[in-house]
Amino acid sequence: MKKIKEVQDPLEVVGCAKGHSHEELIHNLPRHCKFSPILIKHIKKVPEVILRNSGTPFARKVNRMMREVSTEAYRARQFTRTEINNRGVLFGVVLLKHRVIDLVLKYFHERWPQCIICLYNEHTQKTTKIDEKGKIEELDFPLKKVVDDVSKNRTIIPYFDDIQFSGEIIFETLYKSQFVSERENKSYFKRMVPDKCFELPGMRGGVEKRFRNKHINDFL
Amino acid sequence: MGKVPSVLEKIRILGENSKYDICASTASSRTDKYPKLFGDSKEWIGATASAGICHSYTPDGRCMSLFKTLYTNKCIYNCKYCFSHSAKRKMSFTPEEYARTFMKLYSMNVVEGVFISSGVCGSADKTTEEMLEAIRLLRLKYKFRGYVHFKCLPGVSQYLLKEAISLSDRISINSEASTKDHLAEIAEQKDFNNDIITRQRWLKQIRVKHNDEALKIMRDFKQENQLKFQERMIKDRREDGYKKFRWDGAPILNSGQTTQFVVGAAENETDFDLLKRIDWGYKGIDLRRAYFSSFIPIEGTPLAGKQAAPLTREHRLYQSDWLLRIYHYKLKDLKEILTEEGNLPKGDPKMHLARKYFKDHGLVDPNQASYQDLIRVPGIGPISAKRIINLRTRKFVFKRRKDLKSVGVVLKRADPYLLINRGNQTTLN
Repeated sequence: MKKIKEVQDPLEVVGCAKGHSHEELIHNLPRHCKFSPILIKHIKKVPEVILRNSGTPFARKVNRMMREVSTEAYRARQFTRTEINNRGVLFGVVLLKHRVIDLVLKYFHERWPQCIICLYNEHTQKTTKIDEKGKIEELDFPLKKVVDDVSKNRTIIPYFDDIQFSGEIIFETLYKSQFVSERENKSYFKRMVPDKCFELPGMRGGVEKRFRNKHINDFL
Repeated sequence: MGKVPSVLEKIRILGENSKYDICASTASSRTDKYPKLFGDSKEWIGATASAGICHSYTPDGRCMSLFKTLYTNKCIYNCKYCFSHSAKRKMSFTPEEYARTFMKLYSMNVVEGVFISSGVCGSADKTTEEMLEAIRLLRLKYKFRGYVHFKCLPGVSQYLLKEAISLSDRISINSEASTKDHLAEIAEQKDFNNDIITRQRWLKQIRVKHNDEALKIMRDFKQENQLKFQERMIKDRREDGYKKFRWDGAPILNSGQTTQFVVGAAENETDFDLLKRIDWGYKGIDLRRAYFSSFIPIEGTPLAGKQAAPLTREHRLYQSDWLLRIYHYKLKDLKEILTEEGNLPKGDPKMHLARKYFKDHGLVDPNQASYQDLIRVPGIGPISAKRIINLRTRKFVFKRRKDLKSVGVVLKRADPYLLINRGNQTTLN
């Protein structure tokens, strides 16, 4: 067995402690909105162990960028609220600064393989759709127009026609019913849903925001 | 004749009646990598995720990612802690409205799956039949292949359990108490051994039998690499009864069986009683995990005047459960730190164990200590302990605290127990 130098960092030996490999960085960093190709050149020059350990300002920057990308994709999966019409078109609004819309679309495509999924990105003001075959297309039109156009070519599907009723009140009722007042823990709630999550389109008028916040009408 | 309640009314009341049931994770190993329970056809809707996704959180910070309601709140049992004493309006879903409402919520991306529980209306079999009808409808009519957690009723027949297993990702039977006597104290109509323990054993038997058959089928498909992996997992699991990996190769009931205890409802039930029961669960019935719900008195119940159990007790039990399940501590180790009454002391149980253990055994040198000693150090978990062992096998010598930090050791907790380069960090940084 090759003897390891004592000065060598343990992470270099284990290879998978934390952080990201060169390959992962090269593959995912271009998704970041502030990505520039020079970054990749720098990354190739810096040893992986330094990048993994966040040992330098550059490594910290790179890891922060990766974290921002993955967090945004995860938050979009969690908090995007969608609707489905009777022709099997699922649509919703997202706010994505980074280029992760394909990841979000694929997530919905896996769940609704028969549907065409349209997501409008408020940041780029473009609508992106994925069809039943998984083909992604970006369109420079508002969401409503895209949904209408796509729906025109599809017939009414009984399955989706069956679930055409308002679900918002149902969810609100379910949400309120689950709260155990004896266990209220605001700081824990804030940790799970940070304030910035309420800026996401699906959460702006969300039940979570309204619940237990008094409106002026409650006092009148 | 009373007014027929609307679906909204049912969700409000049956949802509230189920709020003390706990279901933390929606994770299922039934993902793309492994054979799909329902095949690959595109007609199926929904998916499972290996790490779970939470779409919402209640103001107590708990994840609300499942459509969690009772199927009916009519119940023949008179459990002293239960809402059924105080529930004035009794109602039931119909299978169609249950399945349809869920699919609507799923299309809104606000829930990840189903959690179906119920009171016992008439008999356990009759109610389970109806619950199964709702899940059947969801699976076969609405083609939903996502996450389903099925709560079995005490005393249900074996043939119904078999069907429930084939339709669900996770099954649970509430133990409520740790022993026969404690259960008799809070729910005198339930037979602990027959209604609960026997059913839990059946769940294991059905699952293991099915897994063996599924392995044979997969062998025929010549999925060689995958097969080796699955066989190894199942073998590991059976040797000592503990779960070692998240995925255990089971083509059905991928998220295993769980159970739930009401902590603090029975008068003299100690933490040791509860830990003993879950330890038996991990070894005897392939329990995936246990949930603890601190007793909260409900108006109108016989225990309404009883004091609520402190939430910290629940937290300590979860910490100890983690030590049993993930760290593979022995129950006798935990017994050593218990108070005279048999309860867990204040503070982190791992810290108490470490103080006791290292007082007798001396400090730990990461260059020499065994895996078992390393994971006893607070701040070193199974992953960082494995990394340390891995490095040592490659002749790496830990000379600086920084080396340990970079493999994930939390030094502020680990420092008092570590001997690095013949020195012990005794001062604060």
